[in-house]
Amino acid sequence: MLFEIDGLPVYFPYDRIYPEQYAHMCTLKQALDAQGHGVLEMPSGTGKTVTLLSLIISYQQFYPEKRKLIYCSRTVPEIEKALAELKRLIEYRKSCGLDESILGLGLTSRRNMCLHPSISKERKGKVVDARCRNLTAPWVREAAQSGQDIETCSFFETLEKSDLREEVPDSIYTLDDIKDLGKEKGMCPYFMARRMIGYANVVIYSYHYMLDPKIADLISKEMSKESIVIFDEAHNIDNVCIDSLSLDIMRPTLEASSKSINQLSERIEQMKQQGSEKLKDEYEKLVQGLQDTLHARDQELVMANPALPDDLLREAVPGNIRKAEHFVAFLKRFNEYLKTRLRVLNVTAETPSSFLQHVKEITFIERKPLQFCAERLSILIRTLELNNLDEYQALQRVAALATLVATYNKGFMLVLEPYETDNATVPNPILRFACLDASIAIRPVFERFSSVIITSGTLSPLDMYPKILDFKATVMESYPMTLTRNCFLPMVITRGSDQVAISSKFEVRNDPAVVRNFGNILIEFGKVVPDGIVAFFPSYLYMESIIAMWHEMGMLTEAWKSKLVFVETPDAAETSIALENYRRACENGRGAILLAVARGKVSEGIDFDHHYGRAVVMFGIPYQYTESRILKARLEFLRDEHRVRENDFLTFDALRHAAQCLGRVLRGKTDYGLMVFADRRYARQDKRSKLPKWINQYITETSVNLSTDMGIAIAKKFLRSMAQPLESQAQLGVSLWTLEDVLARQRAQKERLEKGHPHQHLYQQYGAAEAQRLIQERATGAVYMDVS
Amino acid sequence: MATNGRRQQIDDDEDIIDVDDSSVQPNQANYAWEEEYKRSWDVLQEDEHGSLAGVVNSLQQAAKRKRLLRDTDPIQRGIIRHLFVIIDLSAAMQEKDLRPSRLSLTFTYLEAFIAEFFDQNPISQIGLIGTKDGLAEKMTELSGNPTEHIRALKMKKFQEIFGEPSLQNALDLARNSLIHVPAHGSREILVIMGSLTTTDPGNIHDTITQLVQDNIRASVIALAAEVHVLRSLSTQTKGTFGVAMNEGHYRDLLFEMIPPTAITTTKAASNLVMMGFPARSNESAATLCACHGKLTLGGYICPRCGSKLCDIPTECDICTLTLVSSPLLARSYHHLFPVENFVEITWK
Repeated sequence: MLFEIDGLPVYFPYDRIYPEQYAHMCTLKQALDAQGHGVLEMPSGTGKTVTLLSLIISYQQFYPEKRKLIYCSRTVPEIEKALAELKRLIEYRKSCGLDESILGLGLTSRRNMCLHPSISKERKGKVVDARCRNLTAPWVREAAQSGQDIETCSFFETLEKSDLREEVPDSIYTLDDIKDLGKEKGMCPYFMARRMIGYANVVIYSYHYMLDPKIADLISKEMSKESIVIFDEAHNIDNVCIDSLSLDIMRPTLEASSKSINQLSERIEQMKQQGSEKLKDEYEKLVQGLQDTLHARDQELVMANPALPDDLLREAVPGNIRKAEHFVAFLKRFNEYLKTRLRVLNVTAETPSSFLQHVKEITFIERKPLQFCAERLSILIRTLELNNLDEYQALQRVAALATLVATYNKGFMLVLEPYETDNATVPNPILRFACLDASIAIRPVFERFSSVIITSGTLSPLDMYPKILDFKATVMESYPMTLTRNCFLPMVITRGSDQVAISSKFEVRNDPAVVRNFGNILIEFGKVVPDGIVAFFPSYLYMESIIAMWHEMGMLTEAWKSKLVFVETPDAAETSIALENYRRACENGRGAILLAVARGKVSEGIDFDHHYGRAVVMFGIPYQYTESRILKARLEFLRDEHRVRENDFLTFDALRHAAQCLGRVLRGKTDYGLMVFADRRYARQDKRSKLPKWINQYITETSVNLSTDMGIAIAKKFLRSMAQPLESQAQLGVSLWTLEDVLARQRAQKERLEKGHPHQHLYQQYGAAEAQRLIQERATGAVYMDVS
Repeated sequence: MATNGRRQQIDDDEDIIDVDDSSVQPNQANYAWEEEYKRSWDVLQEDEHGSLAGVVNSLQQAAKRKRLLRDTDPIQRGIIRHLFVIIDLSAAMQEKDLRPSRLSLTFTYLEAFIAEFFDQNPISQIGLIGTKDGLAEKMTELSGNPTEHIRALKMKKFQEIFGEPSLQNALDLARNSLIHVPAHGSREILVIMGSLTTTDPGNIHDTITQLVQDNIRASVIALAAEVHVLRSLSTQTKGTFGVAMNEGHYRDLLFEMIPPTAITTTKAASNLVMMGFPARSNESAATLCACHGKLTLGGYICPRCGSKLCDIPTECDICTLTLVSSPLLARSYHHLFPVENFVEITWK
């Protein structure tokens, strides 16, 4: 359908639109107009992706700036889904008679895209990357061209020879499309995609290409400033940011890096004997400093790399590491120092500055050369024309640690943990370099791009994200869900049938009465809920102990009378087998229960739609392990820097994971499912208020303080009424709008504006988002509305 | 008061089953306080004047209208029907969410259903299959004699319930009988399922595909909730699917099966069916009947082979001729040419 929002014609590829999709578009347009950042929460299963895409593409094509869209998602299947949606949208726009050329494509790792006959068979991503580099590095190709007998990749060579602009017509390419195109033309799809990114209108890829400083540097640095950046499924974005700047160093890492250092020095010797000029050239270049990079940054051509701050670039590389052999000796010393640190057998936690102080005392290494370590290493590797880069990973890691630790004083923490677990006796020391501040990795993104939109199904409470990511949001909105029938039923079970309160609180979590009541919930729901049930636990540890206790009590035997029971384990292969069998049991009517963990693989990105999940049970509140030193440090940091209370953050984090788990069950308006919160503490207002609006809206007073038997009775009734045939006609006009509905609403809105009713009215009629916009428009005098 | 009014209207020719009546018989497993909450007032909502009378009235009117407004287009319906009713006899039928229990309510309703079915479809046949403990057992073969089925329902051994049902076994059993029925008759299965799980020896989806191939229509009435495999069984075989909300709704769902359904596939080449119209004979001396091998005094003589059969409609056991009587045929005709709906006019 085609309608207008404030004079912007929006092409929407479906005949019907959900009210929340329309509201989302209005807010989104506002954010784009204001060139500001936004946080938007939209219920899962309401067509978030297509809403975003159709509004932004319409926006992009309507205005002459043609702002580029960069859409970041979490996993490869999600990227594929978004690409398919985009393709459909563009086809729809074509069928509406629009003559436009839009180039859109997705990017994923070499492992998924490689066409090389032997490399593409490799399983590990890193091996694929390394083998690819061996064939495509500039010096390898130079050598091959000069007639030496060295293998190169024919796909890459063809790509190099051809002009992409000519060869590839503007269109939408899904990952498979690019691969097919590559096969057809005999060109490397990975590099083809990477080169096309520069002039594509829409780019869809993973977060990491944007946030991880190592990759962002390669891929995303040439994006234009006006680009619109979307982070979809962004409820975990702070953790992604933190992970991208955190490092773990273990003994094997250091051993491997010493080996690499030796290799480096051998190679340098070799080069010297050959009398190569390259080392000399390198030295000359370094004397001039990193001027080239700086030059680019001044013109805002490239995105600032958080690992390489501005002031560093203005200086020349320090003299003591300019010469290759000096640098290698320097690395050796630093590496040995780390080895001695790992020998310590008690836990230590320190700030980067105290670490640097200690380094200086022991090894006389100054801060400055450390800072240049990563950059210098990559220059050296380039000069030495090294192959098999995957062998140098450990060394790169050590160098990255050196750079990060010397660059950032604030927001980082070094923790040395000699033992893996509390009761381990054999030391296996880990030096964790932990990033505490999520805003460091994402800051360049916010600074560089004018519109960054963060969106997901579970972002509540909305003001938390701007705080912890340190940005100003011009729009923050959470949409309720409009339903013709209440197709999900959240309920809070606070006590068992014997009236004993249940909770996963540390003091009572292993109390037999609590465990028995948890078990009873599972058994009873197993009896009344058809097909699949997913149950989430706060942690693997707790899940294991509870399952063991259930087994002793004979509760598992009782549970598998009605359903098969599957368990998620930390092992990905095992879990995927369990998941497959779980789905099969749901399909053939046997019914199954899947026991999973709130922060595990199952809770993120795996949908339990329709019969795969008729009920989801959350046992306890999935708090993080609060005794972890890194978490403690992070909480302290958040309190001092962003004024977020420890408890607030912990609850926020726990509830976003709980909401994420429970949201798995509902994937669309025709679906239905039960959401069971089994913990006394969910009944409290402070917990409930942190749940997303669309879940909260359906938690009624009658369903917040239930015992197991009451819950079962309500569930039975709900399941019966949901099984009654759904008349799709009834949805029309209420939770599903046709074009007429949209137009009628816009007309009514216009009339209302002319009459100038009190604001109260707007709120009632249109919901908060719309009303606020209208009031604002009226205030600025920008009241206009086109109804075609 | 109001509640009773509605109940009576739904169960008009049934024993009054009052959901408010929570009298629990002694020596039953559940205590009264373990029972679920009964909220019979939930179905009623006050109107703007705070009165219930209007709501009850409109409920009654709506139900009446629903009954009156039938599809009156003359379409081709298969009036010679072969229906297998699969009854779940698993432990789940013990549940008392339908009063007095799922099982006894099912049996009561089935008796009424069988009587009504043969009344409206006199030249059709029914068979009963029970499933429990992972097995399926034929309670009665396909036959057009209602008393036989009702007798089977009252037998003690079919009232014992335990274990889990096996949908696949039951469907296979029904299918094995149904594939032999002549092509002019419809092949139907009605599954009444209280359990939420099924224990099957193989892949049930293969069985469903076979049912689709054999042109067998399977409808399902679930008593607890929507189970995916039941839903997909009914949609794939073009049957209906329903979940009983309460006793009255259960009855409605069951009785919806009585009018014959439209024929969708018209590939049956011969549209003529050979039928015999036997004469009733009364004898002075008892002779053996061909159907049971018993000595009987009266019966029907097959016009083709001359053997004696106890009851019609049936198929002659000797020459497989369909035996009916003309009044029976005439009665089936009202499905083919239904009376048009009455039009409501304003009264002056």
